[in-house]
Amino acid sequence: MLARSAESLYWIGRYLERAGHLARLMRQQTESLVDSPVRDIYFGWHRIYGALGRRPHPGPLDTEADEYYTLADSFTLADDLTFEPTTPDSIRNCFARARENARQVRHLISAEMWASLNRSYLRLRDLEIQNIWASTPEQFYATVEVDIDAFRGVSSSTMYRDQGWHFIRMGSFLERAELVASLLGAQIAAVRLFEVPVDAYWTSLLRLFHAFEAYQKGDGLEIDAGRVLDLLVSNPQLPDSLSMSVLGLHRELSAIGQGPDRTATSQARSQADFMSDLLRSAWPRTIDAEGLFAEFRNASRRLHDLVTETYFDYPVVTRPPRVGGFDQ
Amino acid sequence: MTRLINAASIRSLLIDSEPTLHPAAQSGPVSVCFRNRLTDPDKGGWRAANIPLEKGDPPGAPAGLTSMNFDGYDLDTDIYDELFRPDGTPRPHGRDLYETLLDASDEDLNAVGEWVTRSFTHEGITFTVYGDDEADERIIPIDCIPRVMAGSEWRGLAKGLEQRLAALNAFLRDIYSSARIISDGVIPPDMIFGCPQYRIEMQGFEAPRGVWVAVCGTDLVRTVDGFRVLEDNLRVPSGVSYMIAIRKATKSAMRLLYRRSRVGAVENYGLVLRQTLREMAPEGCDDPTIALLTPGVYNSAFYEHMFLARQIGAELVEGRDLVVEDGHVYMRTTTGLRRVDVIYRRIDDDFLDPLVFRPDSLLGSPGLLHAARLGNVSVVNAPGTGVADDKSVYAFVPDMIRYYLAEEPLIANVDTYLCRRPEDLEYTLDNLEHLVVKRVGESGGYGMLVGPHADAEERNRFASLLRQDPAGFVAQPTLALSRAPCLIDGRLEPRHVDLRPFILSGSETRIVPGAFCRIALRRGSLVVNSSQGGGAKDFWVLEKD
Repeated sequence: MLARSAESLYWIGRYLERAGHLARLMRQQTESLVDSPVRDIYFGWHRIYGALGRRPHPGPLDTEADEYYTLADSFTLADDLTFEPTTPDSIRNCFARARENARQVRHLISAEMWASLNRSYLRLRDLEIQNIWASTPEQFYATVEVDIDAFRGVSSSTMYRDQGWHFIRMGSFLERAELVASLLGAQIAAVRLFEVPVDAYWTSLLRLFHAFEAYQKGDGLEIDAGRVLDLLVSNPQLPDSLSMSVLGLHRELSAIGQGPDRTATSQARSQADFMSDLLRSAWPRTIDAEGLFAEFRNASRRLHDLVTETYFDYPVVTRPPRVGGFDQ
Repeated sequence: MTRLINAASIRSLLIDSEPTLHPAAQSGPVSVCFRNRLTDPDKGGWRAANIPLEKGDPPGAPAGLTSMNFDGYDLDTDIYDELFRPDGTPRPHGRDLYETLLDASDEDLNAVGEWVTRSFTHEGITFTVYGDDEADERIIPIDCIPRVMAGSEWRGLAKGLEQRLAALNAFLRDIYSSARIISDGVIPPDMIFGCPQYRIEMQGFEAPRGVWVAVCGTDLVRTVDGFRVLEDNLRVPSGVSYMIAIRKATKSAMRLLYRRSRVGAVENYGLVLRQTLREMAPEGCDDPTIALLTPGVYNSAFYEHMFLARQIGAELVEGRDLVVEDGHVYMRTTTGLRRVDVIYRRIDDDFLDPLVFRPDSLLGSPGLLHAARLGNVSVVNAPGTGVADDKSVYAFVPDMIRYYLAEEPLIANVDTYLCRRPEDLEYTLDNLEHLVVKRVGESGGYGMLVGPHADAEERNRFASLLRQDPAGFVAQPTLALSRAPCLIDGRLEPRHVDLRPFILSGSETRIVPGAFCRIALRRGSLVVNSSQGGGAKDFWVLEKD
């Protein structure tokens, strides 16, 4: 497969994972605007912005007057993360980039995948925050999630399982690993900032990763921060857990196979091993979970660099061709 | 009320009826009037029985529906109409289409038109227009009514196209080697060697199988005197993906008519192109790796490049994906460098190889031409073919056919005045209001004066340009391009059309029975280029005559 095409496919996986993750966060956040206390709403924004590595939204709390401002701020923040053209990872920008990458490799993905992504993008392209805010923004975000799920489903049922397929999957797993680790770190930081650990903050985290039922089955009804984190980090059956992502990365790296350079390929594989080790040996013994998540996130970024160097942007040493050399 | 009806589905009855002729039908411009089937008392009621009305509609209540008709469809004896004879009756091969149109309600037909457009938007069949701020993706306006042609007529055209390409390839072989045609005095030397598209770097190059042009798109127009070649596109002819995409949409919108009409298939174009490209592989290469070289996603024809790459199973490469090493071309894959044997290039000569052509080009690959000259990679079409589709050299194609093939041209050229000749320049200046003046080396409908439609100021501007640089221009009489019915604002109206069939040449010459048919959508306009307000429609070659 052409290296540039592989890179485009990989980025389709990454951007859609990013858009889906943000859409889930935003759905939960906009749902909380309906009836949650102001404090919870602020907590939510802190967590989201913290996970994005941006400065959390500052704001006074606990006074009657804040209610109005909280909602007004929420409008602005939602616009920023959903439609803002200058926010590189706004949901719309993620879709636009995924589609732009897909446009370049349309001949390598199924027609259904293109149609699904193109339709979602076209719908999103013509919307603005005012259009979704007036009625039920959470429904809008739910639709975005459905679009992404539909794309995944269509991909799974129509795409030929060649290297391209594995590059899309690798993009998804790597993005997911990084996003989940970032969010878990941001959760710990936000909980510390808001001092009082509230069950609802941890429940919302479980719901975000479709883990609430799994938690109840294993750990009962009582919410314990440590057990929630443990589930999200190391459960081998939960699709969004960190260990599942790492498992996926191993699988995809092995399916993709050797790159042009053996040393580079084994470096990438070693990096994935390192990420497994972080989860297996450091977790849950660490006393600095936040630091561990930061290290894990950095390891994901390093793996991204290695994948790029191994498969997409490897050095090619050639002798310069003769200038104007036509003599036969 | 939304109806899921297509125009053909309601044409389930074949009713013979003669159109009622306009009293003035026998002479001069006429308006053809036909009986309106829906309001015809004899036919009353059948429509309701044949249309799957939505649940809840009372039977026999086609309220709100009006039938399509050709009221106001002008015929002009000086302009060939693709559907009607001059007397206002439909041509025999167009009768099915005519009846289908007549039987459709305007609501149905408009729904079909909208559906075809929508399907293009959804599938992202777009070309990109770059403005100041951001890129705008547009779709080419599609008319849902096919242009139809009798099989026998097509076969005659195909022979003519094959003949023309054979002569053009012979010409390219000749001028890049011994140039006999010049020494024999058929074409003046400065016409060739002064042409910017002549590439001295290709002198002595031997194209694989002697085929310089493997993919040709020839623009044909029809006048009352028959078909003429308007121009040959021998470098990177485009539009073939539209031919196939428009066919897909149109045949699905007019499924019954399509099935009944026995239309020649164009969908196998990809296979035929693939076969042709395989035949163009370097000597001894039995299973060539084919790559399609595109300028990239920002090129307005990128959709076509992607489409064709998929159809022929080729990698879609950009210059930055290619590496030339030891006279061979490789592409960067996820497993390392892989050799490329055939490059179907969709970028212009200028950008192919910065070591030979434009040094500032980032679109091509340094050393590519060297590899091609060594015979290690076949570049299709070969660089340097532009000299044969130059607007001045065009005038000599009939002579080439006589010179190389010893045959008379089967399809005529449009009379062309070469302004480099003093007598032609004088004639052109004297007759600007009747002529189309084209700048040599321009394409896409730019740099052109359409005399009859230009004002005095524009003509004066061109007159002074002509005097400054006569060799830079050619002039041709304004042609009355044939017209075909199109759905314009819900009405059937005639619009001028042209035709671009695609001719493929490898071990043998192959032509799929179809073409990219462009329309000048503005009333009276003769400019069909999509960048200048043109649209496109399907073109059906029928089995029957």
